[in-house]
Amino acid sequence: MQSNKIHRLGAMVLAALWLVLTVFAWCLPPRALSESERRPLAQPPQVTVQDILDGSFMKEFETYALDQFPGRDSFRKLKALFHYYALNRADNNEIYLAEDHAAKLLYPLDVSAVELAMSRLQHVYDKYLKDANAQIYMAVIPDKSFYLAPALGYPTMDYDAMFSLVQEKAPWAEHISLTDVLDIEDYYKTDIHWRQENLLPVAQKLTQTMNLTVPEEQDFTKVSVDRPFYGVYYGQAALPMQAETMYLMESSVTGACTVYDHETGKTMQVYDPSMLESKDLYDIFLGGAKSLLTVENPNAKTDRELIVFRDSFAGALVPLLLQDYAAVTLVDIRYISPEVLGNFVEFAGQDVLILYSTTVLNTKGILK
Amino acid sequence: MLFSSIPFLYYFLPLVVLIYFLVPRKLKNAVLLLSSLVFYGWGEPKYVFLMVFTIAMFYLCGLLIGRAKKQGWKKFWLTVSAVISVALLAVFKYADFFVSSFNAVTGLSVPLLRLALPIGISFYTFQSLSYTIDVYRGNVPAQKNPIAFGAYVSLFPQLIAGPIVRYADVARELEHRTHSVDDAALGLRRFLVGLAKKIILADSFALLMAQFRQSTEPSVLFYWMYAIAFMLNIYFDFSGYSDMAIGLGRIFGFHFIENFNYPYLSKSVTEFWRRWHMSLGSWFRDYIYIPMGGNRVSKARWIFNILTVWMLTGLWHGAAWNFVLWGLMFAVLLLLEKWIPALQKLPGVLRHVYVLLAVCISFVLFNAESFAQVGSDLAGMFGLSGLPLVSVQTIYCLRSYGLLFVLGVVGATPVVKRAALRVSETKLGTVLEWICMAGLLLVCTAYLVDGSFSPFLYFRF
Repeated sequence: MQSNKIHRLGAMVLAALWLVLTVFAWCLPPRALSESERRPLAQPPQVTVQDILDGSFMKEFETYALDQFPGRDSFRKLKALFHYYALNRADNNEIYLAEDHAAKLLYPLDVSAVELAMSRLQHVYDKYLKDANAQIYMAVIPDKSFYLAPALGYPTMDYDAMFSLVQEKAPWAEHISLTDVLDIEDYYKTDIHWRQENLLPVAQKLTQTMNLTVPEEQDFTKVSVDRPFYGVYYGQAALPMQAETMYLMESSVTGACTVYDHETGKTMQVYDPSMLESKDLYDIFLGGAKSLLTVENPNAKTDRELIVFRDSFAGALVPLLLQDYAAVTLVDIRYISPEVLGNFVEFAGQDVLILYSTTVLNTKGILK
Repeated sequence: MLFSSIPFLYYFLPLVVLIYFLVPRKLKNAVLLLSSLVFYGWGEPKYVFLMVFTIAMFYLCGLLIGRAKKQGWKKFWLTVSAVISVALLAVFKYADFFVSSFNAVTGLSVPLLRLALPIGISFYTFQSLSYTIDVYRGNVPAQKNPIAFGAYVSLFPQLIAGPIVRYADVARELEHRTHSVDDAALGLRRFLVGLAKKIILADSFALLMAQFRQSTEPSVLFYWMYAIAFMLNIYFDFSGYSDMAIGLGRIFGFHFIENFNYPYLSKSVTEFWRRWHMSLGSWFRDYIYIPMGGNRVSKARWIFNILTVWMLTGLWHGAAWNFVLWGLMFAVLLLLEKWIPALQKLPGVLRHVYVLLAVCISFVLFNAESFAQVGSDLAGMFGLSGLPLVSVQTIYCLRSYGLLFVLGVVGATPVVKRAALRVSETKLGTVLEWICMAGLLLVCTAYLVDGSFSPFLYFRF
């Protein structure tokens, strides 16, 4: 009898918990953004007869209900903890923790994706570089799994096959391997990207190959950013991880340069303080995701110019390559079609550096 | 609408429960009918009309069978209900299967209809057929109240994935059911157990299966992990859904029949089918197999009966030849078990291994998208593809899913239920049980919030 009472009481308490969550789900005002996932959240769908009849209202409502669920971040964390620790799963949302690093399972090698990416670069070469008397260099940036996964038994893509494929498809470029000048500590623990303060060996290898002045440690001052950095994997994994300190490598060169954003027509600094408020602190490096930038260096040692076809990794590296170049143009063909590039950039004798990460090359159709 | 979705758990269900318990008794069936139509229309609004037509057609046929004085008229109206419902099933579910088979044989190119499959059509068609057949047989009187009948056909707890509840089993409760906190508590607990089975176990195994299919590093062990993962996936998916249906029914005052009884404990295929999807098995037995003569006929006719019933059972699960073969495979195994009594005298362990192996292979056939895939899957499992025994990805998946496999295997036995019953005999145990239930609700919600769409396997049936 006593047990029956507890049974009923237990059921009522559980029903009350359910009801509380329900009331919050119905009544809380919708939020605009998810900070941890760095994306806008779905808003309440409009109710129209047409949308109901074709089912689009229901689909939109389901997305809205998921996005706006009360305590969404806490629930995501609960799921991650249960998944990772209670069920002993090796990854959560394909993000795994190893040696204090969060990394994404990048597996398997998608040969068709790499071939497609290389065909887009071939198109750029054919359209702009072939007859431009350009010295072309290409480097592939290994993702964190290159250093983490094999030793720890996580599946990885066949990196050798990717590097070979890239070289085979771009015989017109001088290929520079970066795998021997990086290791896992050169990447942020909570993010996909590399740490700028550890990139001197990369910059030195590139500049040596490109016949530029080799940057030295004493050329730069390491300055910490006054805001804790939680990388993109922190939000995706929803697992407890420590905030990191971001450092900038400042120099007289980086301080004097100006960065022109062709998309907005605005000018900014190499490390623009306004980006401290950005959702992604990594945007502090050359403004983050931008389709077309030109960095002008008034104190350049030569009048040479550089064009970099790049992804987000280049934002942290290019400031270390500036000293010899009077101008560096950064082109991200994820955001600007190569077809219209000629309207903004004149290809005539500049050095060209193609710098893409394995992540981008292995993602099908990401390059326009 | 999926049970394992935020709109169902935190919008639809609380609202329906609230309204249901607020309205007077005579309006409760109307609330169930309307909410069930909303539930059904949420997935495919246009098919609400099909549902309403099905309700109206079976309601009228039931009334006409009940009122007919002559046997001939009773048979006529039964035939009308059967022909129309089977025709609807044939058009919406099997038309493209028949057309593509015809095209394959004749080399013609008759265009396919490409109709979307109305959710749960196989379940509610069989359920409704049981009604007119039972009225025809005089087992139950025809339902005169269209609201009560509509609520029976469309009842959202078991509308889309069973169990196949016969009208006779709930006829009394449709009109005179009682509600209590104890029943609601039991229903709530059962629902949450089913939800956890679906979200935590079944969906995780589904993820492993997807990883297997995308893998570029297959191995013999990976093929076996895939096959076992699917065994566990389909069991927890389907039995989890049945648990949720039974639990919801209990909250609303219905007592639905059980649909699963630890099938993987079986020591013969015959026993397996007494424990797996019991409501379907008994439906085929009572409405197809026995009317065909069952086993009280000549040996040849009996074999024909068995083959027919199991071919139909296979077809019920899906409009494709692999489902037909799947059903026929069980027919052959059942016949062998009846012909070779010595099989029953084998040691229990061997019989158990035989059933698990047979079921495992049958599910490889069941889940394949083509016969070529069946061949490659079986060749992979039995080391005939020249694959390595293990690969890096296999080891990784074994490490990542190892505990889930253990939980899945243990959860497919009565061990957990027995332990829970023993614990709940004490006051502290009861408190712990409800704390666990609250934990399951929160964890399942967390999985839903974090995760993406996870459809029930049995939707396609």
